[in-house]
Amino acid sequence: MTKQTADHRHLLGAPIRDRILDEVRTYVDAAGQMGKIVSIAIDGTAEVEVYIRNQARIAAKVGLDFDQQIWPRDITQDACKSRIQQMNDDPSVLGIIIQRPLPSHINIRSLQSAVHPLKDIEGMNPASIGNIVYSDIALVPCTAAASVEMIKATGLTLAGLEVVMIGHSEIVGRPASMMLMAEGATVTICHHMTRSVAMHSRRADVVLVAVGSPHFIGPDMIKPGAAVIDIGINQITTDDGTSRIVGDVDTAAVTEVAGWITPVPGGVGPVTVAVLMRNAVIAHQRQRQSGWRT
Amino acid sequence: MSAQIIDGKAFAATVRQKVAAKVSELKTAHGITPGLAVVLVGTDPASQVYVRSKGKQTVEVGMNSFEHKLDADTSEDVLLDLIDSLNADPTVHGILVQLPLPGHLDETLVINRIAPEKDVDGFHIANVGLLGTGQKSMVPCTPLGCLLMLRDYHGSLSGKNAVVIGRSNIVGKPMAQLLLNDSCTVTIAHSRTADLPDVVRRADIVVAAVGRPEMVPGDWIKPGATVIDVGINRIDIEDGKTKLVGDVAYESCAAVAGAITPVPGGVGPMTIACLLANTVTACCRINNLTDGEDFLS
Repeated sequence: MTKQTADHRHLLGAPIRDRILDEVRTYVDAAGQMGKIVSIAIDGTAEVEVYIRNQARIAAKVGLDFDQQIWPRDITQDACKSRIQQMNDDPSVLGIIIQRPLPSHINIRSLQSAVHPLKDIEGMNPASIGNIVYSDIALVPCTAAASVEMIKATGLTLAGLEVVMIGHSEIVGRPASMMLMAEGATVTICHHMTRSVAMHSRRADVVLVAVGSPHFIGPDMIKPGAAVIDIGINQITTDDGTSRIVGDVDTAAVTEVAGWITPVPGGVGPVTVAVLMRNAVIAHQRQRQSGWRT
Repeated sequence: MSAQIIDGKAFAATVRQKVAAKVSELKTAHGITPGLAVVLVGTDPASQVYVRSKGKQTVEVGMNSFEHKLDADTSEDVLLDLIDSLNADPTVHGILVQLPLPGHLDETLVINRIAPEKDVDGFHIANVGLLGTGQKSMVPCTPLGCLLMLRDYHGSLSGKNAVVIGRSNIVGKPMAQLLLNDSCTVTIAHSRTADLPDVVRRADIVVAAVGRPEMVPGDWIKPGATVIDVGINRIDIEDGKTKLVGDVAYESCAAVAGAITPVPGGVGPMTIACLLANTVTACCRINNLTDGEDFLS
């Protein structure tokens, strides 16, 4: 027992991350040369650099090549697009990540559409999202997929489960809803225009929240025994002037009601990068099936 | 009976009028005539009726109709070549491949061959993804028709609790996305839902699209709710006669609901009207006429 497992109701990301990374490493060892993951940042900030460094470290751990590219701030949209198209045609490129945020003159959606669906390891191309809607779960947005992994780790059977997703963003809420529906859950999607979130969340066997608002979910909003998946990441300043990271859930209070709760940090977050690596494996498999690779 | 009846036939006629007005404006102001190509493979009788009806209505609103009828044993290559040529044809703004296709043809492959901007059925995987992320896309005709009727009846849908029964790719899933885009709180219920009556009773808006005759009874409906019935089921009545019914039990639901679509005469007539509207939308987008897209409002 490590000191992290202070509470048995806390659903930790680390063991799930490690299991996924073990599977990835086994595949990579057997596959041999798989090509590289290319990370594209434009005029990277310190915040993004920390994030990219973490991805690079995990990629190295599982034996995947990771090429960190930083493009100049004044690069044009067309230049970005043509560089991405060259990568689509380049067999040494396995998958492409477009790091956010981007400068305001760059249209991210147009770049995401330019990434070939078979190299879209972030699952952000409209065709990747379309496949999820049509229940073909292959390359999926990493945070959404990580959230689904957390629910599966509870051992609950998804078919027939009442799930409430709070937040309908295109990268988390919507794809997670579609994935859970594909697994047979009855999904309700709430958002900032929902009249009473509590009315919905109190009925749910599983509540996922991704709204970006600290302490948004209190214990009175959760059915006793429900699973609570906290996808929020918020930096707050505490009374003593120090800052720390919290989720969208009042974790201490909700722990007393919930059957399972993912802590922040240490819950969904660590699984997200593992899913990115698993997407690289899936991309490799699909590229092989399409005759791109032997 | 207390519910207001939402007359899809009359509403579809107003949509067609708006489409016709826009078509005539496109012709006079820009010299463009929107064109819809319909591809039918084989001789399925129901499909032949649909295709004939689509062609007739296309011409009635002043657009060009191109019908391509292929033999049932047409090879995939021939069909894909036809789609390629329609994709490249500047007089064609909308392409519809009538489904179902004969068994030897891969529907997914064929649909995804259509240029997304000409995919007036909204089934191309890129359009599905764009709709699923709240972006501009081509929207499947039947759920679009339901949405237009709901907007017409309610004005704003924002904040309403909507329950979609059925998770099909052609109705249930896109309907849920459209209601989300209009800021409804959306629940998607389906065959695996544990307590369907309880879920439906929460709804201000119920859209039933399961294909099971009269499966939603009146005591599942919250008083005053709006009921949109997408189902079209033919059932036997006495003496070997049949009749069309929806997925909701009309009499008992109409006694409780605030508004309800009948079957026939509700959602059905809206589908082809929305196909025509989608063709005009596609034509405006292809020609970079951004002012053309709000012609329905």
